[in-house]
Amino acid sequence: MSQTTPRADAATPEFTVVGGEWQELPDAVPDDRMIINMGPQHPSTHGVLRLVLTLDGEEVLDCHPVIGYLHTGIEKNLEFRPWTQGVTFVTRMDYVAPLFNELAYCLAVEKLLGITGDVPERAQALRVIMTELNRVSSHLVALATTGMELGAISAMLYGFREREHILDIFEHVTGLRMNHAWIRPGGVAIDVPDDFTTRVRALLALLRDRFGEMHDLLTQNPIWIERNKGVGVLTPEQCFDYGVTGPPLRSAGVAHDLRKSAPYCGIEQYDFDVVTHTDADAYARYLVRMGEVEQSLRIVEQALDRLPAGPVMVADPKIAWPAQLALGPDGLGNSAEYIGKIMGQSMEALIHHFKLVTEGFVVPEGTVYAAVESPRGELGAHATSSGTNRPYRVHLRDPSFVHIGALPALGHGLMVADIIAAVASMDPVMGGVDR
Amino acid sequence: MGLEARLPDGILLTSVEKFIGWARAGSLWPATFGLACCAIEMMATGAAHYDLARFGMEVFRASPRQADLMIVAGRVSQKMAPIVRTLYDQMPEPKWAIAMGVCASTGGMFNNYAIVQGVDHIIPVDMYVPGCPPRPEMLMDGILKLHEKIRAEQFVPRPRKGESMEDFRRRSGWQGPQPDDIAAMPQPGGLHQVLGSGQVRA
Amino acid sequence: MTDSPRMEVPDVSAQEKLNQIAVARRDGLDARLEAVRDHLAGAFGGLGFEDHYGELTVVASAAQLADLLRFAKDDPALRCEMLTDVTAVHWPGGRVEHRAQETTGWPTYAIEQEGRIDVLYMLLSVTHGHRFRIRVSLPDDQPIVASAVSCYRSANVLEREVFDLMGVRFEGHPRLERIFMPEEWEGHPLRKDYPLGGVEVQYKGATVPPPDERQY
Repeated sequence: MSQTTPRADAATPEFTVVGGEWQELPDAVPDDRMIINMGPQHPSTHGVLRLVLTLDGEEVLDCHPVIGYLHTGIEKNLEFRPWTQGVTFVTRMDYVAPLFNELAYCLAVEKLLGITGDVPERAQALRVIMTELNRVSSHLVALATTGMELGAISAMLYGFREREHILDIFEHVTGLRMNHAWIRPGGVAIDVPDDFTTRVRALLALLRDRFGEMHDLLTQNPIWIERNKGVGVLTPEQCFDYGVTGPPLRSAGVAHDLRKSAPYCGIEQYDFDVVTHTDADAYARYLVRMGEVEQSLRIVEQALDRLPAGPVMVADPKIAWPAQLALGPDGLGNSAEYIGKIMGQSMEALIHHFKLVTEGFVVPEGTVYAAVESPRGELGAHATSSGTNRPYRVHLRDPSFVHIGALPALGHGLMVADIIAAVASMDPVMGGVDR
Repeated sequence: MGLEARLPDGILLTSVEKFIGWARAGSLWPATFGLACCAIEMMATGAAHYDLARFGMEVFRASPRQADLMIVAGRVSQKMAPIVRTLYDQMPEPKWAIAMGVCASTGGMFNNYAIVQGVDHIIPVDMYVPGCPPRPEMLMDGILKLHEKIRAEQFVPRPRKGESMEDFRRRSGWQGPQPDDIAAMPQPGGLHQVLGSGQVRA
Repeated sequence: MTDSPRMEVPDVSAQEKLNQIAVARRDGLDARLEAVRDHLAGAFGGLGFEDHYGELTVVASAAQLADLLRFAKDDPALRCEMLTDVTAVHWPGGRVEHRAQETTGWPTYAIEQEGRIDVLYMLLSVTHGHRFRIRVSLPDDQPIVASAVSCYRSANVLEREVFDLMGVRFEGHPRLERIFMPEEWEGHPLRKDYPLGGVEVQYKGATVPPPDERQY
């Protein structure tokens, strides 16, 4: 893995950064330059990200990210499983906001199946509620880890405390705190329990209160402002050139939000604003994220008010997940009545269940792209089907991956401590970067 | 192991072992080694709701040289594997490793080209905590069982109270005296005098 | 699967079937994308256009790609500021089952196809709000195409991923090297001729083969 980049001068030769050549380096590199390796195991690089920094003293001349330390081969795994089972793989990609991965993938599958309009309204509304809550919990993790990396350990504890309340709701509905596999092609796996609305409303009140606390802690904090203002500026032109979307783009003043420009799941019925800022630095991104949390809570409230009754899975029996699921001690599983029905009463139901669960449904041939606005930016699923029950090729366009490509532009001219603040403000999640 | 190398043979060690085991388990400092989703749950375990500080473990050391415990939290990819080994080697003795989550234990759901099928291919693991990801309570259960294991560690392997010789041999790999050793031993029935030259005279 | 020669499609009922597929697939573009298509057709000759699922796919040759990207970026009616995604799909050569007929109820048959890798570029215009895809087909034994980095810098990491996982060489990329796999890795994992690489799983005396070798 060589670390010289086009910006380094031609005199610096290429080295593989495995070691062994360190003795040669002092002669080859001009005296005033240092080449430092940060990561992949580092408390402040937001995961297994490796940064090879060329330093002139404390100032960073070049920041070259090396990734691949979490490459899981998810896209290849998807080709060997039925379409529905792909949800469990895809959800572990961007693991801080798992419902968004599921949603992008399921929207692509539904587009291929042609059932986008047939997904029931209740399922759409529930998808919106749960994904917006996931946006809040993801921004909480972003704030918490940014705080920890900059030394504000209290922010870490506050963030994770709030997140626990949101995870309680997720566990109440899907059975799992993370990596839910709840949004499935055609709808959602299981309907919400009866006390869902009351609990979420109580949660909204709690979150509004606690986010007030976080504002008090950080927004006017002189240290927070010192460390984040003016750090990691990406102008709108740079954002477009590097394909940067999400809060970094909105912090540069461009009001581009897929929930408004290409709405999904009926989100256009809810009234919310796109939060933007003009400074395009780390502090602006922090403000944009705090604003987005407020807007997400607004959306959840409206969706709860309007939550329609009805089924949560598409009606077509060839596609709909056949089982009635129930929450058991170890997560979601087939409910006892359903097992009684298929084992005892109806052979057809048993065969239908067996076929749909093991073989899955057949998806017509074609290629589609479906994108959602994840907390990090545009998360898209580029799905190609060859007409069978397994995906032929699914590529997930992850925003963090593209943002990592923007790090050299972000890091030029900063000091080492600012690099940490800048990377944290872009909020990359390495599971999404490496997939 | 650190202290064991310095102790002379044949000394009764029970109280010393108990004391050292209690000290080691009481403040077992983990190294920050969060890789993937399990890292988020590990952070949640260290956070306020499921506090790890009650067990003396809230200080996640960034430097492996200051850590006792490596919690491998997440999937280990092909590129990361040599780094896991390097970090484990950099930790000083005594050290333990927990494989948190199914990906670290066995490769998890990712049975493919990119993921090492269990971090025990690379480092010796003392405790496996299954789950995808394991709940914070599950991780704490694993940590507490590891604490018990550490507390019960012996400097010189010898049978525990109530343990059969077979179980002891299996646990410690103690083979027992071999035929050569038995032949070299003094035979029963008679006094033998060992001369200065090492010769044995009946 | 019957090995019959390629059927011609003269009869009405088959055409009806194709229409039904188009309707179910929601083929057909909205006014914005139709304008994009007409504009591109006017500016470039030899482009193909597909409108499956309401998405515009521009089929271009590898030689046209650089000009097409530059045009899409600079032309005021298109103004595609962002290249959001570069990905590739590998269609291996040989005798393959042609499955399109599966969904129409026709008998499936096998066709000979040349191995190819389709590289897909997703372009997004923030000002106009449209999004379309460019598809370039390359032969899979020598997939070489011009790099988009001079036009869009997001292509830097995106093309490295396609190179690492599919083996497509992008000429003009400043540093085309592996991004996910270790540097000395051989092979390109997401190609169809590369195995999944799983191991057999043992549990309580029984073994389960890896996913790519299972019979179900």
